[in-house]
Amino acid sequence: MIATSATRLRPASWRSPRTWPDALEVNWRRSMRFRATAITLAATSLAVLVICVIMGLVIRNDLFEARKDEALHNARVAVAQAQRVVDAGVAGDDRATLTNLWNEAQRELGRASSSNLIVGNLAQRLGEGYTPLGFGSLQLTYQQLSNELRTRVQKVPTRQAWQSIALPHGDRPASAGIVVGQMLTIPDVATYDIYIAYDFSDADDTLLFVQRTLWLAGLTLIALIGGISWLVLRSVSAPIIEAAETSARLAAGDLGVRLPVHGEDELASLGRSFNAMADSIERQIKELAELSLVQQRFVSDVSHELRTPLTTIRLASEMINDQKDDFDPMTARTVELMHTQVHRFETLLADLLEISRYDAGSVQLEVEATSLAQLAEEMVDQMRPLAQAHDTELRMVAPGGYSPVDMDPRRVRRVLRNLVGNAIEHGEGRPVVVTVDSNQYAVAVGVRDFGLGMRPEDAEHVFDRFWRADPSRKRTIGGTGLGLSIALGDAQLHGGTLQVWSQLGVGSNFVLTVPRSGGEITGQGPIPLEPEEALADLGTLTQPIRLGRDGAPDDDGEEGR
Amino acid sequence: MTSRILVVDDDTALAEMIGIVLRTEGFDVLFCADGALAVEEWRSSRPDLVLLDLMLPGMDGIEICTRIRAESGVPVIMLTARSDTADVVRGLEVGADDYMVKPFNPKELVARIRTRLRPAPQATAEVLRVGDLTIDVDAHEVRRGTAPIALTPLEFQLLVALASKPQQVFSREMLLEQVWGYHYKADTRLVNVHVQRLRAKVELDPDNPRIVMTVRGVGYRAGSIS
Repeated sequence: MIATSATRLRPASWRSPRTWPDALEVNWRRSMRFRATAITLAATSLAVLVICVIMGLVIRNDLFEARKDEALHNARVAVAQAQRVVDAGVAGDDRATLTNLWNEAQRELGRASSSNLIVGNLAQRLGEGYTPLGFGSLQLTYQQLSNELRTRVQKVPTRQAWQSIALPHGDRPASAGIVVGQMLTIPDVATYDIYIAYDFSDADDTLLFVQRTLWLAGLTLIALIGGISWLVLRSVSAPIIEAAETSARLAAGDLGVRLPVHGEDELASLGRSFNAMADSIERQIKELAELSLVQQRFVSDVSHELRTPLTTIRLASEMINDQKDDFDPMTARTVELMHTQVHRFETLLADLLEISRYDAGSVQLEVEATSLAQLAEEMVDQMRPLAQAHDTELRMVAPGGYSPVDMDPRRVRRVLRNLVGNAIEHGEGRPVVVTVDSNQYAVAVGVRDFGLGMRPEDAEHVFDRFWRADPSRKRTIGGTGLGLSIALGDAQLHGGTLQVWSQLGVGSNFVLTVPRSGGEITGQGPIPLEPEEALADLGTLTQPIRLGRDGAPDDDGEEGR
Repeated sequence: MTSRILVVDDDTALAEMIGIVLRTEGFDVLFCADGALAVEEWRSSRPDLVLLDLMLPGMDGIEICTRIRAESGVPVIMLTARSDTADVVRGLEVGADDYMVKPFNPKELVARIRTRLRPAPQATAEVLRVGDLTIDVDAHEVRRGTAPIALTPLEFQLLVALASKPQQVFSREMLLEQVWGYHYKADTRLVNVHVQRLRAKVELDPDNPRIVMTVRGVGYRAGSIS
């Protein structure tokens, strides 16, 4: 549990691309650092995108305006130069002169406009004589110009008009540009509308370059901010993760762990508070442990100290008890009472001492290979006199459990004596059935009585110390109230279980399950806790099995040795 | 002949009570309440058996038992309030023959003492052989070749019990019954510890025993004659 809570803080694996969506999802949920970085990145990207787009537009606009103004200016200058040439050179309508003049004007246009995309168009003849025709260039022809532009140019001769245009470049894609139109007049000869086109492809290149730079800068910025936030968040999340892992270790019982504290910031104060808490917890746990140790030692010491005087009392009591036939009846009874109560006191003391050993964790098993069936059989034989005194039939059923299993026979015997004793005491004279069985993981013995039984809420408490189902219930065998607690301790010491099933008016079933050597109890134990057979079915049960010395059932099945 | 028993216990009431019980049974009883004086008392009185409390002022029972064993194989029965593994095993390891956990009952005490004072009648054969050892039962003597090996009466009894039925494997319970006189399930550590002590004396290589063989999961048997 601790380990998983600590690993949860670590990001998921990125090893295989197929798991990436899952990894992303897991990281989003589990890593504060991942989430914060992702949010920062997304926000930064959006901002950079908006800024780049706006800046791109603004720059494109500015660039276009500047180039347009330049084009207009150039065109005006060129047309003015050409006009001046034309004005200066007018000399009659002699064809050769006119042609020369026109050519001169065209050259001037081309020179001053610094563009080779010039189209001239004869707009209107003014005289009757020879009029030179319009001209054009390969890339720009009159037909490419829109009627709207032509109309605007021709309508107001003194003003420039312009229009965006796509300039074809043969097989290459057309580039953007503008075309400026203006009127040129050869006095008394004709008016021409002149169109000069400017290719803006160089401006496009500039724009592309600027925009590319812009995007690159934006991406770099995003990467930078992402990296920075990742680093910054690490400085925050690493101590948090460390704190979480340290808490987990503390919770797991490693009381010595502390957080390193650097500086004076919030994390340092978190570390200090945590360490203070850990100190306090450690101190209190140590105090409690010491207290508990002192308590256990005290119980153990008291038990031992009581033993020497008790020995004297017991020796004395036995001596007097041996002579009680010589006393008058009242004294004899007194001696008898003292004698039995000394015994009871002694049992109680022994149980108390045993319990204190469990509490101190100083109990050691003395394991030997033991046949549980044989052990139970011996135990049942030992308990027969007691059973007969209570008019109770003791039955032994052992379908399995003969092969030796490592256990501490003294403890298992004690557990069995306790269970069988209880069953006889509370069995209301009905039969008590002891069942031994085994499976591949464990051996088990069940002690079933058909007596008073207990309510389930009482059954939960049977292993509590000094607990009694019914305080007014008579005590005939005189248990100490510690027997079942000790039995449970013995079972757990074997790595086994001691469970109880009980129903009011139906009886009780106690099952002790001991795992085979070095194993664990897996799945269902060999004997079910909830008994299937009722008292009426008892007749169908196997008759008691007599065990031979070798641990195998003998043929002679006589009851009562 | 009445046997003399030395009771070493600092609890005078208990010592006196034990005295009463033992005198009723016809034993002669001596007392010592101080651990430091116990060994001296034992040397001067030479009792037939020592009842030794483990927790004593001056010198503890373990130390006293060690010193007595260094000089004699006299039967020693420990009295202890603690049946915890460490205490009891330590006592047995330094040579105590048996132990009784307080509170004990007087009949049990007397039975244990009698068992230790009057060893059960041994096998009919007067000379037993086991491994390269010769056991002269009547003379209470064990020899390897001509060299005698000193054993306590308990160790001798244990060895004789095994050697008298060389074919038989003895379980720990059987040995407890034959040698210690327990007729019910008792502490098998008694057997384990004393077999170790016996091996330390009679085996040439205690790690590779030839005289007292372990039969895994069952108990012990005598080694074959060589």
